This record gives sequence, C-alpha cells and structure tokens, in this order.
Amino acid sequence: MQLKILIIEDEISLNQSMVDFLSAAGYLCESVFSYKAALEKIDYYSYDCIVLDIMLPGGSGLDLLNYLKLDKKTDGVIIISARGALEDKIEGLQLGADDYLIKPFHLAELSVRIAAIIRRKHFNGQSIVAAGGIQIDTGSKSVTISGNPVELTQKEFQLLLFLVINKNRVLSKNTIAEHLWGDSVDFPDNYDFIYSHIKNLRKKIVAAGGEDCIRSMYGEGYKMQLQ
Amino acid sequence: MKLFTRYNRVNITTTIITFVVGSIAFYYVLNYVLISQLDRGLHVEQTEILDFVREHKRVPDPLTTKHQWTEYIPATETITHPKATTTEAYNKLESETEPVRQLVFTIEAGGRLYKVIVNQSKTETEDLLQMIVLVIILMIALILLFNYLINRKLVTALWKPFYTTISTIKDYKLGEKKALQLPREKLDEIDLLNTSLNSMTERIHQDYHALKMFTENASHEMQTPLAVIRSKVESLLQLSEGKEAMVHQLMTIEDATLKLSRLHQSLLLLTKLENRQFELSTPVDLTAILLLKLEERESLINAKELIVSVATEEVYLSFHQHLAEIMINNLLNNVIRYTPLHGTVSIRLSKESLSIKNYAADGPLNNEKLFQRFYKEEQSAESTGLGLAIVKEICTLAGFHIQYRYASQEHEFTIYFNTQ
Repeated sequence: MQLKILIIEDEISLNQSMVDFLSAAGYLCESVFSYKAALEKIDYYSYDCIVLDIMLPGGSGLDLLNYLKLDKKTDGVIIISARGALEDKIEGLQLGADDYLIKPFHLAELSVRIAAIIRRKHFNGQSIVAAGGIQIDTGSKSVTISGNPVELTQKEFQLLLFLVINKNRVLSKNTIAEHLWGDSVDFPDNYDFIYSHIKNLRKKIVAAGGEDCIRSMYGEGYKMQLQ
Repeated sequence: MKLFTRYNRVNITTTIITFVVGSIAFYYVLNYVLISQLDRGLHVEQTEILDFVREHKRVPDPLTTKHQWTEYIPATETITHPKATTTEAYNKLESETEPVRQLVFTIEAGGRLYKVIVNQSKTETEDLLQMIVLVIILMIALILLFNYLINRKLVTALWKPFYTTISTIKDYKLGEKKALQLPREKLDEIDLLNTSLNSMTERIHQDYHALKMFTENASHEMQTPLAVIRSKVESLLQLSEGKEAMVHQLMTIEDATLKLSRLHQSLLLLTKLENRQFELSTPVDLTAILLLKLEERESLINAKELIVSVATEEVYLSFHQHLAEIMINNLLNNVIRYTPLHGTVSIRLSKESLSIKNYAADGPLNNEKLFQRFYKEEQSAESTGLGLAIVKEICTLAGFHIQYRYASQEHEFTIYFNTQ
C-alpha cells in the first residue's frame, strides 16, 4: 500500500518541488494551495502525513491543525514555516503537530522527518527500514548488513538512516551536516569531519560483507546507490 | 536635588532676607517717628516757656515729672539755633541716669539770660520699640514655620500623581500588549503630562507593532523564496551526475542560499533582542547547555584535532533557554573556527563567569570593533560577522558583561554574570 501525503503550501513552485521529491521517494502526493482547499481535503480523506504551511491564503495553518485534532483525526502533521519564532514552534507542537521544520529546509530533511512520523504512527516506533542488504531497526537502534550485526556510533547510525531513507539521491554536504549537527555547524571551513564519518561508515559496511554503495560526488555530496 | 528642596531653599532664603531688610527699615522708621513725637513735645514746651516769659517777665518754676523735666541755668551766651539732641540726663524722680531727648535754648527774663534745658525721657519710647521689634521677630518666625510646613504638606501632596506617573512609566515595557494608560488628574500640568505620555506611547506602540509585523512578514516572505531556491538546487543536483562543473556551481548557489537564510535569521534575532522581546525569567542550567553543545561539536573538534580542557561548576541562571543556547553556540563556533589545527582551547565556567580561551599566534583582535555587526578580522566567506554582535546583545539584555583580552598568545572571552 502506497503511503499518502497531503502537501499544504501556497508557494506553487515549492509545493511542486516537494511533490516531485516525495513522489520519487515512493509516496502518493496531493497538493493544495489554500486554506479552503486544504479544509475540504482534510474533511473527506485521511493521510499518513500532512505537510502544513502556517501562513496560508484564507487562514492560518494552526487553525487547520486545531480542526484536525478536534475532529480526532490521526494524520501525522509536520509544520513547515518561515516563522522561526520559538513561540510559534511551541504553539504548533502543543496543538499536536508531530514535527516542525523551519524554511528554508532541505527536501531530504523533510523526507527523513516524514518517514520518522509515519514510523511512529504506523508501527509505534518499532519499525525496520530496509534497503539493499541493509536493515535498520529504528526502535532498538540496531543495524544488520547482509544478516550480520554492525556496531555503529550514534552519529554513524543517524547518517546511515539518513542515507538509506534518501537512497539513490545526491545529498549535499550542507544537507548532511545540517541533519546531523543542526545549529552546531555554522559554515565550517571544511567538512572533513563529514568525510571521516562517511569513511568509517563505509569501512564498517564493507567489513560486514555489504556492498560499498556510498558514492562521493566530487567531494561536494554523497549518494547511497541501492536498487 | 529635589524640586521641593530647591524651591524651599530659595523661598526661605528670600523670605528671611526680605524680613531682615524690612525689619531694619521698620526699626529706623519707627525710631524716627517716635523721636519726632518727642521733639514735638519739646517744642511745645519751649513755646509754652517763651509765652510764659513774655507774659510774666520771669522764668517759670521748673516743672518736673517722670517723663519730662526742665532746668534753668543763668547763661552768658545766646544759643541762636537750638536743636534737639539725644543724650543722657539725671532723672531726679527716678534717681537714675536715663537716655533722654534734650532741647537746650536761651531766654531773656527780667534782664537776665537763662539757659533752658528741657529733657524728655526716652525710656518708654525705647521700651515700646523693643516690644514692637520682639513682636515682629516672633511673627516672622511663625510665618516661616507655617510656610515651611504648609509647603511640605502641600507640595508632597501635589507631586504625588507625578511620582505615580513616573513609576508607571518605569515599569512599562513596549512588549506589553497595551499602550500606557495613565489616569486623568485634577491638576492641569500633571493631566497634560499624563495625556501627552498616553498619546505618545500609543503612537510608539502602534509603530512598534507595525515594525514587528513587518519584520515577521518580511522574514516569511524572504524565507519562502529561499526555500524554493534550495529545493530547486536539490532537484538539479539529482540531474547533475557526471557533470562536475555543474555540481560545484550548484553547491555555490546552495552555500549562498544557506548563508542568506542564516544572515536573515541572525538579523531577525538581533532585532528581537533590541526590541526586548524575550522574557529572561526561566532558570537555565548553563552547565548542561555548555556540555551538550560541546558534545554536539565533538566531530568538529576532532577533525581539527583541538585540545580542549573544560572546568565547570554547577551554574543556574535566571535566563532564557533559547538565548543561552545561542550565546554558547556562537562562542563555541567562533573558537572552533578560529583556533588553528592542534590548537588549545580552555573553557572555564564558574558561578561568576564563563571564560573561553583559545590559542592564537597572530596577535590581539580589534577590541573596539570586535562586537560590531559585520566586522570580520579577515574576509571569511563562512562567517556572517554577526555571531559576536548577537552574543554582545544577549549579554546586554541579560545584564551580563562581556570582555575580550589577549594575553600570552591566547584570545580570551569572558562573560561576567551579574551576581552581586
């Protein structure tokens, strides 16, 4: 069964980018551009995850969120907003949003957050993410490659999960750095530390009998090549 | 100095001077009037004696009372212009020497020349004068005292609404939802002050909210196109496999987008700090934040092979969680960015201060410009030039004091918490 995502964002090109990206990742996407259209969709259908912008023509995304919760809908919600104000973030999460992403964000980051929300909703957090020979148990935080258990550090685990969820896509170093370190990296002069994490991860995958599937893109990004 | 004290000082001084000058003048005028009266009495007596001599051709018998007595002494010389003088004379009836007003003149009676001395006692006049002066002094003292007391009561009562207004203004914060609402007052001046302040803050309040809305909306309007650019770069990146030059160019665009968005967020934060839009009242575990932020940077520290030593005490501050994180983040980011490979960093957190030192061989930084916005020691593409300005602004808001020193080849940034 294909997972369904509703994208509520009034900026048409951004909406389209998200649809393209998430469709490529295997989701069934629907997009709406206004408060009213969003309300209709929410009323008639249910989604595995809703990507929700706060400032919409015709109303506030927070009202939509309120409506969803009053109606006891179980759709997962991730807010995407330019309003980074802490109060908005807290308000959004208090109203029952599952996550909050501040614009501008990386699509790969959005994808991995959506995947986490869906895992929580559907499998109570006990979910296996698998691709190629790699099996990641996000509940127990354990990894097996070709059936062999692999010991990973916390950062390596996060990195592997990020690469697997965004498999077959080029991820820039900025994207990876921001996912793994958030605020703590503000333009480091070199991303050597990412390179060393990637190098260690590759070694461990190969040592466990897995295929060396992480490709470097001219030193600017990485891609996990899996069928 | 208080207005009342100042007013009182001037008021009392001028009152005293006026009264002193007035009293002296009053004394002399009174003295002059009383003496003229005595002199008139003397002249009346003189006229009576002259009349008597003209009628009887002899001098009258000397008349003696307590207040006035006359003497006749044979004389050889005529006094042409008799004048009354103040002197002393013996009063037989009182058996004492008294101050008198005396008129001496000559008269011919029965072919002989007499010198006539008429004395008017001044004792009673002086007594009267003394009484009057005493009464005046008492009156002045009473007037001054009552003046002072009334002023004090009245002025304190009059200024009360003024002080109420002042304390309301002091407690007023722009971040509050409402404009200042000072009450109407009976006194025109205070009422004018209050209504002017009300309308002024009303205007400021409106402008402030318009500005706040503007920055928030501007932020929204700018971040969305940035998000579009970023998502398109990511999409293009997927199509650029095998095209190395394109990948590099796309990464340049992505870096610039990222920088623009960070720059914008930083400026927004600075605006909010300046507008004092943060409540600094949550207890914050600074030690935990510092250790957490260090742990998050472990990979970066290892990549540069920095030697970091940390000494911490348990420090709780009444602060703002988010701002504390930003403050620590910015300081740590700077240290990690600017310390050379294999350099040493020492961090010490105590209840009084947070000190971060790092090795630097290239001399001190410009202490004056260091905390200015967009100031960079060297043109570095990675830095926004806002990190320290933000730290400084947070410190100012929280009442901390930040200091930079360069000693023994080390930069040292110290934040002193306001804990006296």
